[in-house]
Amino acid sequence: MRSADALLEVRGLTRRFGGLLAVADLDFTVRPGEILGLIGPNGAGKSTTFNLIAGALRPDAGEIRAGGEPVAGLPPHEIARRGILRTFQHNRVFAGMSVVENVMVGAHTRFRAGLWSIVGARAGARAEEAAVRARAEELIGFVGLAEWREADVTTLSFGQGRLLEIARAMAGDPRLILLDEPAAGLAPAELDRLAALLRGIAARGIAVLLIEHDMRFLLPLAGRVVVLNFGVKIAEGSADEIRHHPAVIDAYLGDPAALVDAARAGESTHAAA
Amino acid sequence: MKPLARWLAAALVLSALAFALSSYHNDVYRKLLLWVTLALGYNFLFGVAGQVAFSHFAFYGIGAYSIVILTFQAGLPLPLAIVAGVALCVAVALAVAIPSTRLEGFYLALATLALAQLFIVVLNEGGAVTGGAGGLADYRLPAILGVRVTGPWYTVVIVLLMLGTMALLARLDRSWFGRACRAVRDSPEAAAAMGVNVARTKVIAFTLTSALAAVAGMAYAFVDNTVNPPIFGLENAFLLLFMVIIGGAGRQAGAIAGAVALYLLPFVLSPLIGHHHALVFGVLMVAAILLQPRGLIGLYDALRRRAA
Ligand SMILES: Nc1ncnc2c1ncn2[C@@H]1O[C@H](COP(=O)(O)OP(=O)(O)OP(=O)(O)O)[C@@H](O)[C@H]1O
Ligand SMILES: [Mg+2]
Repeated sequence: MRSADALLEVRGLTRRFGGLLAVADLDFTVRPGEILGLIGPNGAGKSTTFNLIAGALRPDAGEIRAGGEPVAGLPPHEIARRGILRTFQHNRVFAGMSVVENVMVGAHTRFRAGLWSIVGARAGARAEEAAVRARAEELIGFVGLAEWREADVTTLSFGQGRLLEIARAMAGDPRLILLDEPAAGLAPAELDRLAALLRGIAARGIAVLLIEHDMRFLLPLAGRVVVLNFGVKIAEGSADEIRHHPAVIDAYLGDPAALVDAARAGESTHAAA
Repeated sequence: MKPLARWLAAALVLSALAFALSSYHNDVYRKLLLWVTLALGYNFLFGVAGQVAFSHFAFYGIGAYSIVILTFQAGLPLPLAIVAGVALCVAVALAVAIPSTRLEGFYLALATLALAQLFIVVLNEGGAVTGGAGGLADYRLPAILGVRVTGPWYTVVIVLLMLGTMALLARLDRSWFGRACRAVRDSPEAAAAMGVNVARTKVIAFTLTSALAAVAGMAYAFVDNTVNPPIFGLENAFLLLFMVIIGGAGRQAGAIAGAVALYLLPFVLSPLIGHHHALVFGVLMVAAILLQPRGLIGLYDALRRRAA
């Protein structure tokens, strides 16, 4: 694939923590509008990969290109400006703000009004504020939190917090959204809603890079999957290829249930198709 | 009422009060308004932006001293002295904020505490420029365009300053900038991931509120018509912190309630317990933190909810 077609291109990405090689010479690309799964056992380096892309960590080596532009080593706010927004593995909502204000922070890079026009209460600044608020409310509805729009975020459940993080990242009009285990801790009914939500995001033309442990949840969703183990990419391919890949089966041997579940999930989607 | 009409009504009522008060009570009223102004700025810095800084009152002092020195020793015309004084405060604020906000929050507390102490040392050792331990006195507000603002009219100036500070900070608080400040306070990592430049947001919040404190200090310089080191010591810096916490950090109504309550409390308590009100403040502070962390304004909310 030519790099010009890639939304995100990762080449030779490497990061050490002391003697531990958390991410080793990793290559992959994300194409516009696709859902790319990133899986691997605990400690495989998935979140570290996210942190490297999002600018929260600096790579020791390697290249990251967003729309062809080299972005490795840029600070997180510069990455966000380039349309790459993320959620966190452990909820990091803004506890002192309402749900709608949390989502409006996600739109931070969309604001054009300067401080002077805010202080002067200029019409342009007020219109922009109203437009962003309306859009934030729409996104809150999109993720299914409409009832909690003005709620204090500390009153939300864990699962609602996951959804809020997704709405917040969506508010920045991302080209690419990085979701770190959005399904973790959700009840089965919530999982189905989340899957529909993620398909809805991809349908809007937003690429999704999705970290997930639960293969049963991930494989039916992801067009392609990258598998990490001990920081190394051990496989890459379609959901079907990954399901039957010997190295993946080996890596997950410690957790055969995950594969059995994944296989079943695959069968049920095939049956439905 | 439309917002503008509300602001005008507030300006009229608060100004009219000045003309109803005796000259002694005008003095008390002016200082109350200045405390409210300071508390509003400190509320933005500490309550909204979450920065634990002890320099706010020192900037009030820098503003007060700089206007007096620039006007009466350097001989600058008043408007120019105001601009130069604000510029000086902005420079000092940037010099403190840029290195310390890059570090963890604790270092800002230390750096600002050091600045507040250093300021007092400079005042005491400043010789003829600062007037040493005795400070500077025997000056009066110069006439502007032939008009000398005195008596209740000067109180009106302070009313406008307080309302201006309040409107400015309220607008910022409800904008992307205010949300960015709160986001940085609640989770710097998440704020950065949403595109907020964390260091820049902190520096702007610190510098802006410090400059507002300096402007209030300039107004103060012509309230007592003397500036001296003891006024600008750490005791008042902590009183400001108490006002914001006891009132309810993060909300303007809280800052106002805290400033009014703690400024007026000694007037009520002194006849009863003499100068031991610091003890009462301490007890209130502990009570607020343990029983009602959202302060007086949180208490008000709770009572209203119970009544409803
Ligand atoms: N900041 C850090 N300092 C030191 N070691 C770290 C740091 N972050 C991650 N690690 C280590 O790097 C390795 C990869 O961690 P990472 O969080 O990327 O794994 P993961 O694939 O996201 O795992 P999980 O599924 O448990 O979330 C682990 O061994 C982890 O302990
Ligand atoms: Mg992880």
